[in-house]
Parts: sequence; C-alpha cells; structure tokens
Amino acid sequence: MTIALSLAIVAGILAVATALGLLLRSRTGRARVVTSKVRDATTVADLADREAFGTAATLLQFSTPTCARCPATARQLDAVAASKSTTTAQGLARVRRLEIDLAERPELARRFDVMQTPTVLLVDGTQTVRARFGGPPRQPELVAALDAVLTEEHP
Amino acid sequence: MTSSPVPSRGIDPRSPRFGAAITTALLALDIVLTLNDSTRTVGVVLLAVIAALFAWGGLTGIARHPYGALFRRLVRPRIGPPAELEAPEPPTFAQRVGLVVTGVALVLALIGTPYAAPVGAAVALVAAFLNAAFDVCIGCLMYVWLVRVGVFRGRSSVA
Repeated sequence: MTIALSLAIVAGILAVATALGLLLRSRTGRARVVTSKVRDATTVADLADREAFGTAATLLQFSTPTCARCPATARQLDAVAASKSTTTAQGLARVRRLEIDLAERPELARRFDVMQTPTVLLVDGTQTVRARFGGPPRQPELVAALDAVLTEEHP
Repeated sequence: MTSSPVPSRGIDPRSPRFGAAITTALLALDIVLTLNDSTRTVGVVLLAVIAALFAWGGLTGIARHPYGALFRRLVRPRIGPPAELEAPEPPTFAQRVGLVVTGVALVLALIGTPYAAPVGAAVALVAAFLNAAFDVCIGCLMYVWLVRVGVFRGRSSVA
C-alpha cells in the first residue's frame, strides 16, 4: 500500500468521525416530546416514593458513575427546579429533581431506552413522562418544556 | 434524592481532551505505519506503546497519566484555571476502553491477523478524535450500553 493511499484512509476515517461528531452535537440536549410505544416507559410513578416527586413536575435524571457531565446537569436541574418551584402548604415542592444511578438500577436503562447519560425525563404531576433530553438539556428548551407542563397544571 | 458525587479530587476537564489530541495524532500515524509493509513492525511497536499509555491511565487513574503531567506543565499555565473540575472516573473508564480496543488489536496483530492493527487503531482513532474535537466521550457512552445489555448487575463501582 502506498503512503498516499494510507493517508487518504486516515483522512477518510477523520471525515466520518467529524460527521458523527457534528450529528451528535446537533442532537444532544434537545427536547423530544415523548411518544413511547412501550406502555410502562411512560409512567415513572413506581420509581420512587411519592414525596420524591414534585407536585406539578419532576426533572428525572438518569446518571452513571462514568458520566462526566452528570454533576453539572444535576446543578442545572436544581437551579431550574428552584426557580420554578414554590412549596405547598403541606411542605411539598412543586418542581423537584430526582436522580437515579443506572448502575444501581440497570433494568431502567432498557425500560426507558437510555442510550447516554445524562438522560433527563420531564415528568408531569401525574408522574407521566412528557419530554426527554438525551445529554445535558439545552436550557431554553428545558425551561420551555417545563413551562408548558406547569401552565397546563395550573391554567 | 440522591446527588451526584462532587469531585473533591476533581481533574481539569481540558486535560483528558489534551491527552486525546495527542492520542489522535499517534493513532493516525500508527494507521499509516501499519498499512505499509516496510513500516509495519514500527507501527506494531507504536501500537504497543499506545496500549501501554492507555493501561497507565486506565489502571492508575487518569490523574496520574503522563499526558496529564504534560498538560499541567505546558498547557495549563497558558490558559489559566478551569471553570470547574470534573470527576476522574469517566475519563479513567474511557482509558480502559481504549486499552481493551488497542490491546485486542495488538494481540491479533502479533498472531498474524491481517489488518488487525490498523482496524483497531482506526476504532480507537474515532473515539479519541471525537473526544478531542467534540468533547464526546464514547467510552463513557459505552458504559451505558453495557449497563443496558446487562453486563453490570446491581451496584458496580468504578475505582
């Protein structure tokens, strides 16, 4: 094989990797409205105690121990939840963040079709999944999706 | 509510990307070397060196990787402190993935499998390039995929 051909092969590999990187970058953190065909993937009520959920909405974050951006995403979700939340007379928060480590509950990765961490599910007051974000959520899309759920809960 | 562990011994997130850039260059060179008959032996030796570097980072922890020392000495003083620190576990796990890929390719190359070295180097090149250029950690994603197919049962700790 000639040097020129092997250099062309390397260039080709890098071109494919660049296309893959641009594709991943364009898709990460976008809000996707949930239309799951799997019935038990649309409710998260069984994942935690009732008190762990917000009364109006919950930001459910799936993490893994090898997830570089999960801690930063947790802080982002906490800030968003705090900015939208008020505490009810019973001492319950309207919007909460709930984090689940998939290494502890691997069966949930398949059930919710998690391909990357962090994956964030926006859950309404009935623990029904309304939107999902693969990768750290884009702040404007997260706030818009959350506002939509909150407006609907309290018209 | 559980919380993500805040890294008390966090690393500069730019350090693994700097290392990935060096790895990208070495792997690209290695593909060219192993594809040509006259330089194949040098290429296999370089692949062994790359695998050894992955082993260093994957087995002793990313914070002890020689590229990290290089980053702290040459790059960090020029670009200032990072905005925030990151946990060392994800890049350490990614180093182990790199070790497995290059290690398998090295063994196959040594027993005479044609194109094992350049194909293995190409797979590692894509991952290292995505890390360096796009800050995408394929090794970290693979952990999730392994969880999905049930490789990890119950609590799995990554030291």
